Amino acid sequence: MKRLTLLLASLLLASLLSPAGAKDQLHLYNWNNYIAPETVKRFEDFCKCEVVQTYYSDNEELLAKLAAGARGYDILVPTSNVIQALIKGGQLKPIDKAQLPNLKNIDPAYLNTPFDPDNKYSVPYAMSLTVIGYNDQKIKELGLPTDTWAVVFEPKYLEKIKGRVTVLDSSSELFAAALKYLGYSANDVDEAHWKQAADLIKKAKRYWAAFNASSYIKELTVGNIWLVHGYSNDIFQANLDAQAAKRPFHILNGLPKEGAVLAVDNMVIHKDAPRPDLAHKFMNFMLEGKNSAELTNLIGSGNPNMEALQYIKPDIRKNPAIFPDKAMASKLEQLKDLTTAQRRVRNRMWTEIKAGR
Amino acid sequence: MPGTSSHSAMTSRSSERFGKWLVSAPPLVYLLFFFAIPSLIMVLASFRTPGEFGGLSPLVEDGRLDLNLDSYVRFFTESVYAQIFVKSVWYALLTTLFCLLLAYPLAALIARSPKKYRDLLLLLVILPFWSNFLIRIYAWMIILGPNAAMARAVNGVLSWFGHEPVALLFSSFAVLVCLVYVHLPFMVLPLYANLEKHDQALLDAAQDLGANGWQRFRRITFPLSLPGVYAGAALVFIPALGIFAIPDILGGPEDSLIGNIIKQQFLETRDWPFGSVLSIVLTVAALVLAGLAAWVGRSQLGTRSSGALSRA
Repeated sequence: MKRLTLLLASLLLASLLSPAGAKDQLHLYNWNNYIAPETVKRFEDFCKCEVVQTYYSDNEELLAKLAAGARGYDILVPTSNVIQALIKGGQLKPIDKAQLPNLKNIDPAYLNTPFDPDNKYSVPYAMSLTVIGYNDQKIKELGLPTDTWAVVFEPKYLEKIKGRVTVLDSSSELFAAALKYLGYSANDVDEAHWKQAADLIKKAKRYWAAFNASSYIKELTVGNIWLVHGYSNDIFQANLDAQAAKRPFHILNGLPKEGAVLAVDNMVIHKDAPRPDLAHKFMNFMLEGKNSAELTNLIGSGNPNMEALQYIKPDIRKNPAIFPDKAMASKLEQLKDLTTAQRRVRNRMWTEIKAGR
Repeated sequence: MPGTSSHSAMTSRSSERFGKWLVSAPPLVYLLFFFAIPSLIMVLASFRTPGEFGGLSPLVEDGRLDLNLDSYVRFFTESVYAQIFVKSVWYALLTTLFCLLLAYPLAALIARSPKKYRDLLLLLVILPFWSNFLIRIYAWMIILGPNAAMARAVNGVLSWFGHEPVALLFSSFAVLVCLVYVHLPFMVLPLYANLEKHDQALLDAAQDLGANGWQRFRRITFPLSLPGVYAGAALVFIPALGIFAIPDILGGPEDSLIGNIIKQQFLETRDWPFGSVLSIVLTVAALVLAGLAAWVGRSQLGTRSSGALSRA
């Protein structure tokens, strides 16, 4: 007993004396694999602090966690439509632009958007498109088009690749693609149009292998799945993996002529951030062209930073799904947040899609 | 002195009571805190309105208490949710049945094997728990993949019969196989605990009286093992009913279960009240089914096992 007391006392003492908290820490709550390790290292040297990273795999996970009261994060990197929700929910701290001289590097096309007028809270970080990804060998053999959502939704094409197609397990992304294919806006909220989109999805569903948001990169890489509705940076990753494994095919991006969803992720500061000073330092650091370019070179994400372009590898720079041309850019839409009532209707339709045969 | 002895008896009794309380209090408090209170929060949430930004909208708005039955009404009017519910119960029942069929012979084998091997065999049954649940599910993705040996063998046989090749991965088959795989130990362990205690003398007596192997099983072993069967069935059925990871990872486009739909409410749809309603319905359904099974079990056990014993 005495020994136990001694042990506890010494542990307590040790915890009091330990240098925990001695070093400054920045808490970054980010997507998986969404910052290059060398960038983190350089920032740590620059700010003489430690970057503590936690990860989320989708925006909704971040929202749910914050809604449940999670605290202690300095920087978050949510997508634009979620920023709207976070601003409405009073979860963000306004940024101090005087501390962000590098903000001038951002292409003005990505600033002052309806999601955050005048960028009071957010700074663009990186972006991706939701497009068609395909196995070039198989799709060429079968003579299928890759420049239209028809290949994801029309039975006459799907027949040839039955069970070799996955779509994202996300009602907002899949409805957006279906709405675009039907000629509507991705943000259309007319219930009759949603119904048309749901019918389109129901007809196509039996040809799809799965609704999949987690393992389609791997399935593309090993050649089990030949065509996906997925994120441009995931498809980029699948191709890197396929080349590293010396597969006889490439995984390429197909840009649908009907248009697609653009997702811009932004850095924001949480309202209860323990270290807003470090958060601003981090933002300004990430707005430097070289640091921003490292992420694009690592994962093939789109980049709104004009100063970054010179550091980006030429083959990525030329990839139209990562840096779309003017014509394509005009057909891209960012998703807007739905209201509670709209989300309920959408969920009912989505559940019917998943339940029905 | 008589006074002292009675006094000491009293103190020892009260200290015994204190000791009992001391031992049982921590688990009670634990259950109260981590089961009862969250459940109550969920019940309260089910009557509230979802917040625009996730979570719940304020309980008191404009001086009015915002409690309503919207989410319950929705569950009972939009039939698609009940439909998925029924499907989940069906999957859970199938899982329980397959687990029972596979676990019974295995548990009996372990119970009858020499004592020195039993611990090793039991250890082998629980060995899979040593690796993470998700890793084991991902392993099934590889096993069932279209280019793996299993799918090739199955499709080889099917093509002999002129059947089109089938996909094993992303199918109801994959979901069921993995459900059974994950829950099998939960059936084996209670069955083994029960079967191991059976008195060999009963079976010997039955044999002496001319009962063949099947009769001995049907009239003695099986009725006596029913408590183990019910315990195992409850341990398999209830978790299988709420699972979402397996259909998410291995299921095809038709394989969403109620667990996935609940998860959706809390994440994608940001509708915590409706998620709470679905969750409450799930809990109630599990309790009702477990109660029903226990009731059937008790009434059957009373007549059957006493019959078996009296006949034996």
